[in-house]
Amino acid sequence: MSPDLHHLSGAYSVDALDRDERSAFESHLAECEACRSEVTELSATAHSLAVLAEAGPPASLRTAVLAGISQVRPLPPLTADDAAEDADDEPTIVGPTTPMGGEAGVARAGATVIPLFRRTTTWIAAAAAAAVLAVGGAAWSPWSADQPTLSALQRVIQAPDAATVTSHKGAVTATLAYSRELNRSALTVTGMPPAPDGHTYQLWYMGSDEVARSAGFLTPSPDGRAEAVLAGGLTGAAAVGVTVEPTGGSAAPTGQPIMVMAVA
Amino acid sequence: MMYLMTAASPVPTTSDSGGAAASSPDLAELLRRSARGDEESFARLYDATSRRVFGLVLRVVRDHAMSEEVTQEVYLDVWRTSARFDAQKGSALSWLMTIAHRAAVDRVRSSESSRRRDDAHATSAQAVAFDETAEAAEASLEAQRVRKALSTLTEAQRSAVELAYLGGYTHTEVAKLLGLPLGTAKTRIRDGLIRLRDTLGVPA
Repeated sequence: MSPDLHHLSGAYSVDALDRDERSAFESHLAECEACRSEVTELSATAHSLAVLAEAGPPASLRTAVLAGISQVRPLPPLTADDAAEDADDEPTIVGPTTPMGGEAGVARAGATVIPLFRRTTTWIAAAAAAAVLAVGGAAWSPWSADQPTLSALQRVIQAPDAATVTSHKGAVTATLAYSRELNRSALTVTGMPPAPDGHTYQLWYMGSDEVARSAGFLTPSPDGRAEAVLAGGLTGAAAVGVTVEPTGGSAAPTGQPIMVMAVA
Repeated sequence: MMYLMTAASPVPTTSDSGGAAASSPDLAELLRRSARGDEESFARLYDATSRRVFGLVLRVVRDHAMSEEVTQEVYLDVWRTSARFDAQKGSALSWLMTIAHRAAVDRVRSSESSRRRDDAHATSAQAVAFDETAEAAEASLEAQRVRKALSTLTEAQRSAVELAYLGGYTHTEVAKLLGLPLGTAKTRIRDGLIRLRDTLGVPA
């Protein structure tokens, strides 16, 4: 392979080649396994920078997108015949030759991105997307005065430095109240279906050292409500998450979180 | 180090089991369902990714209305080509972001849109507004992790990577912006990405 072309892998991965260079490099990619593999990794790496730019689109855009797709038939999958053109002994990585052409642009990213990386991204992205921070406990209203955890809940809520984070996912609303001073947090949810058979909802503190620590379980009542004071201290936690785990719980999360709330 | 380091092995999620999983989208599965024409799954895919996609497009394109157009086109393209996504070849998010970044960059490189971006760029108020919208993301754990990783790059590497990826400039433009000899920016970009990859833990 030409050393010159090889050194374009980084620039290609961030779309920093002009059109001529791009098509030259894509021809090279078809023949250079080392570059394909490098582009896969460097693209996935570059996309992690997008977290620095997150911004919510207007609601009207969602409406427009969903109205738009209803008018468009998804393309069929590539068949063996289609694939034969690209077939090598290695998976072929082909970048889109035109931005919206899409036909060939499907397979470029991330062959070696392991599930751990994906899941981490999901946890954090969910926290970033979901967090609506309101300092103060004014909006807090426990539903049942006879919950055994009520006094602990109230202590958290009424702490002078109490803060709440509310997360909405579909019909589920979750509110986390926490107090750094008390070193405690409590979670309340509504609209939550029962955990699937043989499973339970497990709570986690996720540290800024990126280690998840079990913080107990959450069991919704038949009307979809649940509340729990999290087990263990808040110290070191940067987020609280909920996963679905086999009954009895797990030592570490085994599935993707259904909710993540960042704590300040 | 990453979360879930201690999990012995990935366990299939209960993503078909209804409500609970409905709020923990497995993006690859949502894409597979979209390919079968499942608009509701696509809506969930949109909800799970639109902040990331729109934010990136806005960062590159700058013009708000144009960013909305590009984002809409990206999602339409994702819907149309969803059957071509291959989970064996990378994550769904990476696939989606590749399409989004390419679309944003190609848009700003057309002359008309370059002009519009330059106009927006010249307005400092625009930059301020962007910083505000980015605040929430900045607070997130992953943003911290990425910032930390970026800080391990040399100044030239970091600037080159950011101008290329978040700025949407070609390596030739990056070289000019940074006063580097022509041809060296592509090396800075590559070296920077490799160091980022090694720091962030994307496997080699």
